Amino acid sequence: MISQILGYVMLIYLLVGILFLMAELWSSARLKGLGRIVLWLGLGIHTGALIGRWAESYRLALGHSPIASFADKLQLIIIQVPLSNFYESLIFFAWCLPALSLLAFRRDLKGYLGAMVALLSTLLLAYASFGVDSQIRPLMPALKSNWLLIHVVTAFLGYAAFTLAFGTAILYLFQERRPRPSLPPLPLLDSLIHRTTVLGFLLLTLGITTGAVWAETAWGRYWSWDPKETWSLITWFIYAALLHARHLKGWHGRRIAWLAVLGFMSVLFTYFGVSFLLTGLHSYLT
Amino acid sequence: MSATRIHSKPKSWLWGTLTSIRLTVFLLLILAAVAVIGTVVPQNQPPNQYVSRFGEVWGELLWRGGFTRVYVSPWFLGPIILLTANILACVVHGLPQAVKRALQPLTVEAALTLPERGQITWPAGVDPHSLVSATLSRELGRCRQETLPNQEIYLLERGRCRPVGPYLIHVALLLILAGGLIGKFGGVDGRLVIDQGEVAGAFQVGPRAEKPLNFQVRLDKFQVFYYEPGSSPKEFRSDLTFMQDNREVSRATCRVNEPVTFGGLTFYQSSYGAQPTGPVRLKLQLGDLNQSIEAPFRQPVDLPGGRGQVIPMKVDGNFQGYGPAVLLAFSPGSGHPQVFWALKDHPELGAQPGPYRFTVEAVPFGYYSVFQVKHDPGVWWVYAGFLLFLPGLYLAFFRPVERWALVLAKTPKGKWQARLLGASPRLREDFAARQERLLMELKRGTPS
Ligand code: HEM
Repeated sequence: MISQILGYVMLIYLLVGILFLMAELWSSARLKGLGRIVLWLGLGIHTGALIGRWAESYRLALGHSPIASFADKLQLIIIQVPLSNFYESLIFFAWCLPALSLLAFRRDLKGYLGAMVALLSTLLLAYASFGVDSQIRPLMPALKSNWLLIHVVTAFLGYAAFTLAFGTAILYLFQERRPRPSLPPLPLLDSLIHRTTVLGFLLLTLGITTGAVWAETAWGRYWSWDPKETWSLITWFIYAALLHARHLKGWHGRRIAWLAVLGFMSVLFTYFGVSFLLTGLHSYLT
Repeated sequence: MSATRIHSKPKSWLWGTLTSIRLTVFLLLILAAVAVIGTVVPQNQPPNQYVSRFGEVWGELLWRGGFTRVYVSPWFLGPIILLTANILACVVHGLPQAVKRALQPLTVEAALTLPERGQITWPAGVDPHSLVSATLSRELGRCRQETLPNQEIYLLERGRCRPVGPYLIHVALLLILAGGLIGKFGGVDGRLVIDQGEVAGAFQVGPRAEKPLNFQVRLDKFQVFYYEPGSSPKEFRSDLTFMQDNREVSRATCRVNEPVTFGGLTFYQSSYGAQPTGPVRLKLQLGDLNQSIEAPFRQPVDLPGGRGQVIPMKVDGNFQGYGPAVLLAFSPGSGHPQVFWALKDHPELGAQPGPYRFTVEAVPFGYYSVFQVKHDPGVWWVYAGFLLFLPGLYLAFFRPVERWALVLAKTPKGKWQARLLGASPRLREDFAARQERLLMELKRGTPS
């Protein structure tokens, strides 16, 4: 039922992408406004679906181990956050993109930029709906921790911010090669790449540190050079290098855009590659 | 006379290199490359694994070159040490200046050297003071006001502490690296394997090294629970009793995510298993044959009826939640042995190769539990570093430096004139937008 709703959300995002593109092609303020409204609508339903899945997970968990005290219930609510398998991580990722872009792009979330965000979300939801097992399964013992919530939320928000930086960088590289008045101007794209990168760096830092604290409480090792950890560190290094290059060497524009693309490749590998190609502590995701 | 030069030149070259961002980027790239190797080549396996996986030449090369334990090899530790020196040098080089800048408020003299962003002249007779102060406080926030002879200066400064931010981040990195070192050399890290009912007085700290505990620990009971048979595990728990001089001192339950600390050491549930404590008793059916046999573990037993041999391979205390089970290898007279699980409480489950039908009557077994045993005095340094990241990132990225000055003075003709000065080294976009709006607001009421 909830996965069906998410299927509709996917169609809504697709519609948003089309509306933003048409608004740009026909320079129609009305279509642009409509795109915004439909985007908010999609995000609202998407949020509702995530909460619904959370409630459903909680209900199932309560069925496995009935509890009475309020504190225990609260704890169960926290650890049942729907972020414990690949499907759930994908639909949360797809939620982060529009949510973060409303925050990071603000009034510039329109036209090609808006369409980029909406279509990336569509893509993720399509993959989640058609390619991934969506069943709710009980939590394995290693995941039963309050750190799960904060660790996974910050990590995925970070990935999403870097995804936005990547999308913006691609628009930048297009715009630079063949300038088009319908695309946002280069200085705006450059500053949006920077803004999303900074946001992503902050969130990834939080994701890595909360993960380390969790690993310390679960296994007694804050760092064990597990492939996922290692790749997230590589990703972190790449974005640290980007920020140094920009602030200390004055790099701008194309070179920063390419670094954002490189960083995103590393994000992709951290998220998908490690899960599918390498094994380790995080392999529960597959 | 050239002695000083010779003396100072190498030092400054070294210092220049150590404080250079180029070295940082170079080291980060090397570390990333080595880490990639570390994730592609499985770590800490026995040497023959590498030979069978990567071939004679490459396997040998990886093993000898230290790439199979890459995070403790010179390939990794070397760049890490250099990076530490690099960060330390940067901090020493830049922190004092950053602190000095953060402590120094914007002076009038410094403000007057800011680049000019626009001029506005009001018609004679118009006194713009109230307009100026209202607009500035609306658009920028509270300004400081200084009165000089014949001119009025409004000053505003944001993000004065920003230069300290990156240094907090770098100091945080140093704390984390220091914490790692302290843990490595000042901590203990080992494994405790303990059978149910057994009392342990030592734990393993290396392949063949043990370290005594200054207390005893007993595993009273180990249990594994499943959500439901056939589904995933729900909980592993070890009930422990800590003893001093054979007197019970405290009891605790250790689960994944819920470590137990006693006597300065922390115990983390890391793994578990079951081992046989005697032969299994199997009931055998083959046609009319219906007979019980005892089979010791890992020894072939000739089966009555002469149709083959069976070897009990291992035992599982709670096989996928279905209760005790034993892994049997059945070899018919010729051909390959066949391996299958026989479940004690669910004889109906699991396919058996035949011709015999095996039923498990008794599997004597005992659980053992494996703990990571640790004391790491470096953890608090690492956590301090994590905490210091937060103000560092906040200052570095969310407190952009912005300096504004508006100088209001009378022209020789007696009109009021304002000069807007200002700078923001980063965030040029936002700064430009704000400048434009400010000038537009101030120009209101002047004939354009
Ligand atoms: C893993 C290693 C490192 C990380 C994660 C890191 C992180 C950062 C961050 C987040 C900033 C602030 C961003 C900015 O203003 O652009 C920064 C700035 C800076 N970093 Fe690093 N850094 C690292 C290593 C180094 C090293 C080794 C050096 C010394 C060469 C260095 C020198 C600087 C300097 C000079 C600044 C700018 C200070 C300023 O703006 O006043 N960093 N670093």
